Amino acid sequence: MKKNKAMIVTFLAPALFMFIAVFLYPICRTLVMSFFKIEGITDSVSKWQFTGLDNYVKLMNTTLFRTSMWNLFRIWFLGGIIVMSLALLFAVIITSGIRGKSFFRAMIYLPNVVSAVALATMWLQYVYNNRYGLLSSVFRKLGMESLAKIQWLDSDHKFYALLFAYCFGMVGYHMLIFISGIERISEDYFEAATLDGANKLGQFRYITLPLLKGVFKTNITMWSVTSVGFFVWSQLFSTVTADNQTITPMVYMYMQIFGAGNSVTERNSGLGAAVGVLLSVCVVLIFWLCNNLLKDDDLEF
Amino acid sequence: MAKEKKVRERVNWSKELKLAPGYLILILWVLFTVVLLGWVLAASFSTTKAIFSGDIFSQGIHFENFAKAWNNSNVSTFFINSLGYSIIACTLLILICAPAAYVLSRFKFVANKAIQTGFVSAMGVPVVMIVLPLFGLVAGMDMLNHEISNRAVLIFLYVGINVPYTTIFLLTFFANISRAFEEAAAIDGCSPMKTFWLIMLPMAQPGIITVTIFNFINVWNEYFISLIFGNSDRIRPVAVGLYSMINSMKYTGDWAGMFAAVIIVFLPTFILYILLSEKIIAGVTGGGVKG
Repeated sequence: MKKNKAMIVTFLAPALFMFIAVFLYPICRTLVMSFFKIEGITDSVSKWQFTGLDNYVKLMNTTLFRTSMWNLFRIWFLGGIIVMSLALLFAVIITSGIRGKSFFRAMIYLPNVVSAVALATMWLQYVYNNRYGLLSSVFRKLGMESLAKIQWLDSDHKFYALLFAYCFGMVGYHMLIFISGIERISEDYFEAATLDGANKLGQFRYITLPLLKGVFKTNITMWSVTSVGFFVWSQLFSTVTADNQTITPMVYMYMQIFGAGNSVTERNSGLGAAVGVLLSVCVVLIFWLCNNLLKDDDLEF
Repeated sequence: MAKEKKVRERVNWSKELKLAPGYLILILWVLFTVVLLGWVLAASFSTTKAIFSGDIFSQGIHFENFAKAWNNSNVSTFFINSLGYSIIACTLLILICAPAAYVLSRFKFVANKAIQTGFVSAMGVPVVMIVLPLFGLVAGMDMLNHEISNRAVLIFLYVGINVPYTTIFLLTFFANISRAFEEAAAIDGCSPMKTFWLIMLPMAQPGIITVTIFNFINVWNEYFISLIFGNSDRIRPVAVGLYSMINSMKYTGDWAGMFAAVIIVFLPTFILYILLSEKIIAGVTGGGVKG
């Protein structure tokens, strides 16, 4: 037993050290920082000025930050609906006994392994380009000149251009989670339902969907966690430093603390910390809501 | 496999017809992906003029875009940096996480459950929540102004950020290996530590390979940390390097070169995926994510 103790300690120590250094300590410190006014990010604690909830109040009163939160909400909500419906649709089709199942599955997941910078560049420089781009040339071939002339990246269309490009890359991952959920449902249920005369749609509505509750929970949680960190796509799609259409809280924080954006009014790392805390609270809130609204303990399969 | 083949040979046309709308949707989506990637690949062999004329191959095929991008615009530096970071980080991750995962899956002790919960929660923590204190700490120690320490910082962070995921992934893997092997080893007089290195670690190889693929893709594509902590072009990895390159190429107007750079950055993970897609797909739902 004593030997085991030594082993437990030596085996755990490196991982625990990394966890404390990269997660636990920074999380606590960010939480504390959000209540202080801190001019330089490397300032020692003695130079911090306690300001209570001032940072949060200031953020809420900043139009740009409110815009960024609104954008993030739109990405999370609209994007969530698009991604979840497409992912579920593809998952149902792929598990319905089609040929080339693993080919389709692999092709749809493919964008997830590609660097976001590369993928976003492909969309920006090819799909949305209005000289030689995919959309404009397809519309031109179809004779829809008015659609071909649309500047997909002007401020009217940019947000949706960004949203759709982002969703395209995310569908595969959530589809895989849905597929694994659907495959865990026993064939017996569907057979019994078929014998009782239920059609495919009815089976989907009354068997698949209710049994996928837990999987939905996983998917929504994962979607929220990745959405909150929305940064690369936004940075690539924005042409100016503070782009109202594409700014997200993380971009705002980056501008405030690290960038020389034109909108930086004051240097205060506390504000950046408060952005982090607010986003974390959002994640926890969504997680809590999911756990309470989508209870799946009464169904076992 | 053989059984599957037999099923495939019999074409049930009425069944296939019912599935037609499903096929149509999937084929359209996949077609779009193929066109997107295919066009960018084609454009990387073209010239800027030909790209703008709408007929990509009107001026022939140009391999020199790649040579140009590789030599002139730092792609080689970024590429070698990323390769180095990924390989070192992936190795360290296994050395750090595999023992921890093993201990957590096998032994009962006070903080076991708490550590596991902590690791699982850490996977949901947004980077913004941890980046400021880390930056303050590292900048305060003056580690960002020297090339070697700056590289060390990047690797440390790549490792740290992926520790919870890697540990939890391997934990479920170890938990599924029968205890009989350790019992046999113990009877033969093998110490628990030796048992781990000589018996358990080799047995966990499939899991280690899968999680390493994921770690490699994660580190290769990592952007935010590299952007903030990478202080000069000499040490930046591909994701950040590509971004600054795209911006500069937009000014010089070298579109073909830009697409070549995109392809160079895209290729390693793509090739990995082509070779190992079954393993990767099984890994997405197999490990860390539980329904």
